[in-house]
Amino acid sequence: MKETLQVKNVTKTFRLSAKQQKLRKLDSNILTAVDGLSFSAYEGEIFGLLGSNGAGKTTTLRMLATLLKPDSGDAVVAGSSICEEPAEVRRKIGFLTSELKLEDFFTPEYLFNFFCDLHEVPEDIKNKRREELFSRFGVDKFAQVKVANLSTGMKQKVSLVVAVAHDPEIIIFDEPTNGLDVITAKVVTDFLLELRRQGKTVIISTHIFNLIEKVCDRVGIIIDGKMIVCDSLSNLTKDKSLEDVFFDLYRERKGDEL
Amino acid sequence: MKNGAFTVFKKELMRFFTDKRLLFTSIIMPGLLIYLIYSLMGSSMGSMIDDKTSSFKTAAVNMPQSIAAVLKEEKFEIDNTSLDKKDEVTEQITNGDYALLVIFPEDFEKNISQYDPSDTQRSTPNVEIYYNSADINSAQGYAQVTAVLDGLEKQLSNVFDVNNLADPTDNIYDLATQEDTTGTFLAMILPMLLMTLMFSSCVSLAPESIAGEKERGTIAALLITPTPRSQIILGKVCALSVMALLGGLSSFLGTFLSIPTLMQSMGEEAESISTDVYGAADYLWLILLILSTILLLITAISIISAAAKSVKEASTLAAPLMIIVMMISVLSMYQSNEKQEFYWYFIPIFNTVQGMTGIFSFNAVPVNLIIAAATNLAVSAIGIFILTKLFDSERIMFSS
Repeated sequence: MKETLQVKNVTKTFRLSAKQQKLRKLDSNILTAVDGLSFSAYEGEIFGLLGSNGAGKTTTLRMLATLLKPDSGDAVVAGSSICEEPAEVRRKIGFLTSELKLEDFFTPEYLFNFFCDLHEVPEDIKNKRREELFSRFGVDKFAQVKVANLSTGMKQKVSLVVAVAHDPEIIIFDEPTNGLDVITAKVVTDFLLELRRQGKTVIISTHIFNLIEKVCDRVGIIIDGKMIVCDSLSNLTKDKSLEDVFFDLYRERKGDEL
Repeated sequence: MKNGAFTVFKKELMRFFTDKRLLFTSIIMPGLLIYLIYSLMGSSMGSMIDDKTSSFKTAAVNMPQSIAAVLKEEKFEIDNTSLDKKDEVTEQITNGDYALLVIFPEDFEKNISQYDPSDTQRSTPNVEIYYNSADINSAQGYAQVTAVLDGLEKQLSNVFDVNNLADPTDNIYDLATQEDTTGTFLAMILPMLLMTLMFSSCVSLAPESIAGEKERGTIAALLITPTPRSQIILGKVCALSVMALLGGLSSFLGTFLSIPTLMQSMGEEAESISTDVYGAADYLWLILLILSTILLLITAISIISAAAKSVKEASTLAAPLMIIVMMISVLSMYQSNEKQEFYWYFIPIFNTVQGMTGIFSFNAVPVNLIIAAATNLAVSAIGIFILTKLFDSERIMFSS
């Protein structure tokens, strides 16, 4: 299996305001969100980052998407370094998060074309992919309706097709099913499995054990910005459920807080 | 075309031109509102001055027949009364039943006909006029009676005249050409007005497009594309400038078309002001200045918007900039001549105001205008560079 993603010892700190520092009861105003994290992901697999809120999952994914720069360490995404060639990395990834929104005013078709143009997708390939993706996800039925008038499920579908408009090699998905109803969540998980079938690398972050067990091939458990365990799902859940594995590790680390 | 800046430019314009509500509120409404308000203001002010339909109910004591005859022609209704009714009549003036009470000294006509300016011992006859300045009818009546009596006084002791014109509309003494009158008037009013309109047009658009996208979370979608930040910004700034220009143009047209009505109400003759006096070159210079200034303002407000967390915060943060722009513009209204020395034109905003004053008063020095436009463009370029840095900064773009 080809290694498509290599995260090498990345660290990210944030400077906190006095107020935030007090709130978090920290001694220093520097918060280490991600602390020397390393992992790899391969072609045709879904890799899941599992952790509680504030563990550093979102920060890690944002660094991989080049929205944040690591303080130290590096990651190679489909052959390009996130520190050295961020523009190249952006060309090769599709990034999806619930915080990333589409402009209400435009139609799915317009947005799809717009993002294809920004990704410099040639005209003929753009049209072909649009027809393909729109019909597979049923977006063609509301391709001309402004995003503002779409239901949450429809919007999610549009976000999915727009994120992969340029046929990225690696898809990074932050909290893919958070806040979605069961039907839409199913659309998303089916989409992830479909991407894996196509041989893409999919990285997701979540705190939902069930989602990991359903779709992921390998899992990394993050606690306080550190990678505690990184193994295949089958290895991890040999003796006990993923939930038990996670809480045992969590208790070991931060016993008194649980 | 696959250029990122152009793609963003197209999208921004598409957003603007296909949204009827946005189009109406930012382009059509400002001009229309200004035109309607100014015209209404002009015509209502004009009608207040021209209002000669109502008559002035006047009580008079010892009023000579000759004066009464003149006043009757000016719509005065004169009731003769006596001095002992003075208190009663003044009471009625306060109530609005009477407009005026005019009290002439006894033997007024005889006294003034015997008036000898060399006799310093003699007391001057005094005409008393009671009126109510809070009542428009009474105040206007007072002004007219005073004017009639002043005229009479001048007639009696006419020693010499100054610029006595047989026909007051044909002023042969004023050597100002139509060009001069227009230049002086417009050079005073328009630079400030244009700056205000340009600024309000820019501030109504840029925060929405930059801080608004940040607030709604749509900007991150742009930032994860391979299109360089500088191109995204260039596309946005250019599109915003086009929109701001259209908005400013609409406001300007509204103002320009309502100037005649407004001027008439101020007692000016509309014919003495005409925009025909400006040639194509003047307009070209003006367009150059306006374009470069709009680009500069859009860039400045975009920087503020990028640093702000929300549209509301961006508008608040833009207020100090507005105060500076307004102050520079207002100060120029009170200066007699625009600056001729070239180095003044290296100061942004100030250079635009000075340049416009020069253009409107036909004194502009082309080199200075070029320096002004080039300075504005250079500062905008620096601004776009700063914006790129801001868009690159994770602290700014992902402050949450």
